[in-house]
Amino acid sequence: MHEVSIAQGMLDIVIENCRKQGCSGIESIKVKIGKASGVVPDALLFAFEAMKAGTLAEKATLIIDQVPISGFCNNCNSGFTVDDAYAISCPHCNSFSIRVDTGRELNVDEMEVF
Amino acid sequence: MKVKVVTNILEANDRIADENRRIFQEAGVYVINMMSGPGAGKTSLLVRTIQEMQKKVKIGVIEGDIAGTDDAERIDSLGVPVVQINTGGGCHLDANMIREVLPDMPLNDLDLLIIENVGNLVCPAEFKVGEDMKVMLLSVAEGHDKPLKYPLMFQESSALLLNKIDLLPYIDVDMAKIRKDSLSLNPKLKIFEVSCKTGQGISEWAQWLETLVKK
Repeated sequence: MHEVSIAQGMLDIVIENCRKQGCSGIESIKVKIGKASGVVPDALLFAFEAMKAGTLAEKATLIIDQVPISGFCNNCNSGFTVDDAYAISCPHCNSFSIRVDTGRELNVDEMEVF
Repeated sequence: MKVKVVTNILEANDRIADENRRIFQEAGVYVINMMSGPGAGKTSLLVRTIQEMQKKVKIGVIEGDIAGTDDAERIDSLGVPVVQINTGGGCHLDANMIREVLPDMPLNDLDLLIIENVGNLVCPAEFKVGEDMKVMLLSVAEGHDKPLKYPLMFQESSALLLNKIDLLPYIDVDMAKIRKDSLSLNPKLKIFEVSCKTGQGISEWAQWLETLVKK
């Protein structure tokens, strides 16, 4: 729902890094977006396309790597991965006593510069 | 050339939130980030809370809304310092918005600052603003399915206020299910049942809050 602020944060990070490296532009940006981060990839792409104009990232393509939700159940002592946008309970035993390890990522991973 | 970056996109927000937090600590003010869907009764709860605590605790309010100053006017009439932020369409408050209005807030004179977030059951839970604790409201008429449909806010909050309990005789809501699901998502959640219309339950909430502020 707030993909525009996420896209802006992402652009700020890559442009600052690009300047630090003394490069003239950005070719591609790879981001890791967790499935439980609340960010809709299509909306992020749309916001990015609209906001990159006139910046060092104006020719950049955005590659979104979606990270599935994974965690560990304290009740049945097993790890799990789910394909949904939320993990509320263990998919094996339905216990709520779970620890979620991945799925909330919102990271710029790497970029290609020229 | 490939460059490894590995930076959290919300890091800039978190950094500003930490700065805000330092400012609050130096001023000795306890800060609440109050969240709910639209119409759950955040401003009514603020009015009740201020009326209940005003004699013992010095309170200030930051009002977040997409547009308008109605809420700030309601608070202003109670004689407490209030600043309105209009996000102009933004679905949540972020740390930078709070930082920008801090010079307008007499922090050194306050014990408690309540930040009323934009009415939205989703996004506000994602952004820290420098608060000591997040508190959420759910009006009972919103239904018992909400904790499992909007889990993040229930997971992030320290207290849940179930508002509008004066409506219970007229609606089909399973209060036990709200409690059970909320506590499943967040076993430490402190739950209060209140009615901002009748005032029921407000003093229990205010007493609990006062002990945290005075700590």
